[in-house]
Amino acid sequence: MTISDYLVTDDLTVLLGFIGVSVFLLQNLYKPQPLVHPILLGRQSDAGRVRHSGESAVYRNYGTGLMGRFPVRPDKDVNVVTDFVKPEFDAPRTLWSTKITNAQLKARVSAFGSGIAKLVPEDSTVLILLNDCIEFVITDLALSEQSIASITLSSPKLLARVLEMHPPNAIITDNAFLPHVLQARHGVDDFHHTLIVLGLLPNPRDIVLHSWNDVESHGKVPQAPRNAPQPGSAYTVSFFETPSGGMRCVQFSHENFTSGVTAIKALFPATINLSTLDTIVSSHSLSTPYGRAIAYAALFEGASFATLPSTGVFHDGDAPALDVADILSAIKFPIPSPTVLFLKPEHVQSLASSVMDRAKKSFFLFPLAWRHKFASLTEGFLTKDSLWDRTVFGSAREDVLGKMADTVKAVVISGGLLPFDALVPARLALSIPLINTYTHGSATGPLFATHAFDLQMLPSSSPATEPAHVGAPSVNVEVKLIGVNDNVVEKGADPTGEILVRGSSVGNMLSADGEAGEKNAWVHTEEMACVMTNGAFKVLGST
Amino acid sequence: MAYTLDFGTPVNTALLIYILYSVQKIVFPSTSTPKTIPNEFKHGYSWMPKEHPPTVLFKTYTPKTLEPFDGKNGGRILLAINGIVFDVTAGRNFYGPDGMYGNFAGRDASRGMAKQSFDLDMLTAVDQPLDKLQDLRPDEIENMKGWIEHFSNKYIICGKLVESDAA
Repeated sequence: MTISDYLVTDDLTVLLGFIGVSVFLLQNLYKPQPLVHPILLGRQSDAGRVRHSGESAVYRNYGTGLMGRFPVRPDKDVNVVTDFVKPEFDAPRTLWSTKITNAQLKARVSAFGSGIAKLVPEDSTVLILLNDCIEFVITDLALSEQSIASITLSSPKLLARVLEMHPPNAIITDNAFLPHVLQARHGVDDFHHTLIVLGLLPNPRDIVLHSWNDVESHGKVPQAPRNAPQPGSAYTVSFFETPSGGMRCVQFSHENFTSGVTAIKALFPATINLSTLDTIVSSHSLSTPYGRAIAYAALFEGASFATLPSTGVFHDGDAPALDVADILSAIKFPIPSPTVLFLKPEHVQSLASSVMDRAKKSFFLFPLAWRHKFASLTEGFLTKDSLWDRTVFGSAREDVLGKMADTVKAVVISGGLLPFDALVPARLALSIPLINTYTHGSATGPLFATHAFDLQMLPSSSPATEPAHVGAPSVNVEVKLIGVNDNVVEKGADPTGEILVRGSSVGNMLSADGEAGEKNAWVHTEEMACVMTNGAFKVLGST
Repeated sequence: MAYTLDFGTPVNTALLIYILYSVQKIVFPSTSTPKTIPNEFKHGYSWMPKEHPPTVLFKTYTPKTLEPFDGKNGGRILLAINGIVFDVTAGRNFYGPDGMYGNFAGRDASRGMAKQSFDLDMLTAVDQPLDKLQDLRPDEIENMKGWIEHFSNKYIICGKLVESDAA
């Protein structure tokens, strides 16, 4: 047989050749496009060119740049917190269980404001000890409109200390927590303050109690506020606990909250941005500045809003577990099906493992589906509508989340450290943008946030111990690390040290006796982090 | 072999094997991740740059330690105005050894900036104490401040200048 005999071709060859070419093209050209070009993920923050000894350079978000000004308000007309309730927007939306329009909300806010202005003297402070409800929002906006300072606590353990050191003129609480307040009062002598209680007043009453609803109805004749609130003036103080059990105190102005809402809006790129069609569900208490900023963002966008039961700070008994049941209890409110969830890492881990367990029930298809989704994840592409979602993961998500599975379009993770090995299963199970952020009690907005479409898998040498990265600094903060080892950094290692932040969404820390610090000073967060070569940060835990 | 007979020729067999291999790759995609993270975005979606962006460590200089940075031998070029040291290596054309203002490289240029002059008598000798600038007129001080503004925007502030015995 000669060479030409071996290379005999016939019709079958043509057919096979055709099939071969199309398979080749399919394999090489039909690669999924990454949702965000990887070149952008290589330079997520803008680093300063100079650093001082023992510190890292100053880092800012790449979009803001080192020379840029921090965006301070989401819209040019929003200067004070009450501007979040836009009067020109007249469609109703549901806040917890109340369907209300902006005009009605503004009316209730000014009614309560006038009512409480009659009860407390000028320049007074009011302590708000409410769990998350629409009355909290009305109280907060009313006090800010009347320029009456409000105090919130992130934990009931701080109550005794706060009553002792900074006695307020009035306390607003609900009837379930009232006994604790009365008990805490016994330890403190010599105060005269007004108690306003939400809900039914208990009987018998040997102390003067006002009902929240009465205060609102007494204020139906509006009284103009004595001083118009200024954006830069501080109107609320928040006390939060440090991991070591100490107490820190931070003062926020209207500008801090407008910046916080700007930062929260900046988490979502244009294709998935917040709008009036959204329903936001949050697992962060309104007694924390970040939780409040999320609520304000929902108010500003005209979205419906609710919080999970685990946000209740002031209650008896144990806190509910942070798991899928907690997330599902948001459906009990008469809100439209949630579209954006602000969850804690424990929620996300529990959700991902439930969905994966359900998906594994389809024995034959699950391994194949997982392979395909993982392969497209390594290329940077993920979608909720792929073939594998329709066969395997979609039904698993529906079993776990119910109707929410269809409508949720993004999840923002904050309030803890997400372990690195929980990230890939969570991405595959949920197949929607997961934005990992880092928040702190001293700032209204997130301090760090990942790009919404960042799907990189960047394991470190010890993935079991390091948490997932939290991305670049947020659009209106700047960050530097102190306590950095100069020798190691000069040789090119990642700087590791305590995070210091500064920016328009970071409040003004007060010292223990209530002295305000310098404006725009660096705030010690007492958490350690390291920064990677692409400008993303990894928060490592407390100092 | 059975299918060779069925398909008749080695060419067909080769094509068939290629098609089967590709289909297998499409239906069962690889899930291996590279052991080391690539340093170029062309080599993979999950990549990291090799190095951090360069940063300069803020140092305290004395007139003697500042002098070597005059750009001769292709090194960094530093100059000081009013105690602030600027890294002007990017402006080698101006401040390098052949540049118009090369006199200022590695020296305290405060007086020269204030009086708008590049003469050598504007500079104090390296072993003398720093120029106190007390005899400058207010408009000359303003001029110097304007130059500091210009330099801060254009170049990097990388240190401060102190007396030889204070460092």
